[in-house]
Amino acid sequence: MEPLAPHEKIFVDMDILDDENHGGIACHECHGGNPDDPNWKTAHKGVKRDPTYPDATAACGDCHDEISEHYQKSLHATLKPYESVIGKRCNSKGVIGEKVEGAMGAHCSQCHSSCGQCHISRPDSVGGGFLESHFFKRKPPMQEVCTACHGSRIGKEYLGEHEGTSPSVHRQKYMSCDKCHTGEEMHGDGKEYANRFEVENRPSCVDCHESIYDKKAKNVITHRIHKDKTSCHVCHSQPYNNCASCHVGKDKNGLAFYKTKASWFTFKIGLNPLRSEKRPEKFVTLRHVPVHSETFDFYVKDALKNFNAVPTWKVATPHNIQLKTPQNASCNACHGNESLFLLDKDVEGKEKAPNKGVIVPANLIPREQKWQPK
Amino acid sequence: MNYLRLIALILIFSLSLIPTFPFTSQAYEDTQCFQCHTSAKKLIEITREIAETRPAQQSSETEGEG
Repeated sequence: MEPLAPHEKIFVDMDILDDENHGGIACHECHGGNPDDPNWKTAHKGVKRDPTYPDATAACGDCHDEISEHYQKSLHATLKPYESVIGKRCNSKGVIGEKVEGAMGAHCSQCHSSCGQCHISRPDSVGGGFLESHFFKRKPPMQEVCTACHGSRIGKEYLGEHEGTSPSVHRQKYMSCDKCHTGEEMHGDGKEYANRFEVENRPSCVDCHESIYDKKAKNVITHRIHKDKTSCHVCHSQPYNNCASCHVGKDKNGLAFYKTKASWFTFKIGLNPLRSEKRPEKFVTLRHVPVHSETFDFYVKDALKNFNAVPTWKVATPHNIQLKTPQNASCNACHGNESLFLLDKDVEGKEKAPNKGVIVPANLIPREQKWQPK
Repeated sequence: MNYLRLIALILIFSLSLIPTFPFTSQAYEDTQCFQCHTSAKKLIEITREIAETRPAQQSSETEGEG
């Protein structure tokens, strides 16, 4: 994504006035400020850069009432997964809890999005700036919005930007994020979810690929055998990016920073920690996430006292799907192939305890098969 | 019948008196917001002025992938 010059970020095209839906709304009706003041410094007093965050109802609600109300509870607004996972690891109230909350506000919570930061500008967390001279984009452009934030893992995987990997087969078919992740999913349905796996209208591979279980479908036997036992990603993902550690702090100028260890590439199948009726698979792909027991040490020591409450290897849905992968080349490319599974020896000493539930014990690795489907 | 025609004419005439979209847009064009934000020259001058007085927004100490 090309960076924008400071003036490009705020340049408005006069043609915005021809927008039949938004052209009749004066700037100050959403942004505030004084439109008659010729002095830019005083004219901007009270101006809201993004009038759609944190509450979009005033700016967008007159016309998009349902969306702007639902959005308040969407994961892009609540960032609930941070709160729930860090909450479990921290489990502290009082001074420690307050300090962690403050640190999360300075770091984690900066990664939210809003109506404006998808449909008008690039998200603040990647420097902001109008997508196209303040035109309202019904469909947010993938690389300036979606993968601008979801870049180092999802974006690079999808686009095949990691060395030695290919773009997702969906990318090769020119699909953009919104083909699977619809507006309805992004805007939220008014319910507050703890994480993306709970979202009721989240996409599923079988939404499009239901016919894989049909009698006459290619590979029907393999698909039927593995149905509800392994996630689609187990057979169809390429290796993906993993991050470790993350330390946050502020520099001498008071600006927030983070430091993570060098990321690494791997492919690991583990036990599904989120097994449910909707997600019954025993085996899923796992990714190491950037967290450390000392993540918040800059703010307060021993903040994550219950670090072991949550695994550091979490369910992953790598976005680099391929029809043919090394692990699905034959039955025994996977069955009996220990290197594909997250074993005890793959997990660092002090992380063994939190990951106990996802590490695959040797006796659960599927045995080598003598039988091969025709 | 003539009454109906008369009413129709009055209605059409009344509609033309309602300030419509192009008139509103013209008013917006004249605001200070539009005067500045549609002029690259003015924005370059102002953003340079801001850059001179405002410190960096992002820390150079960030390392790794987020």
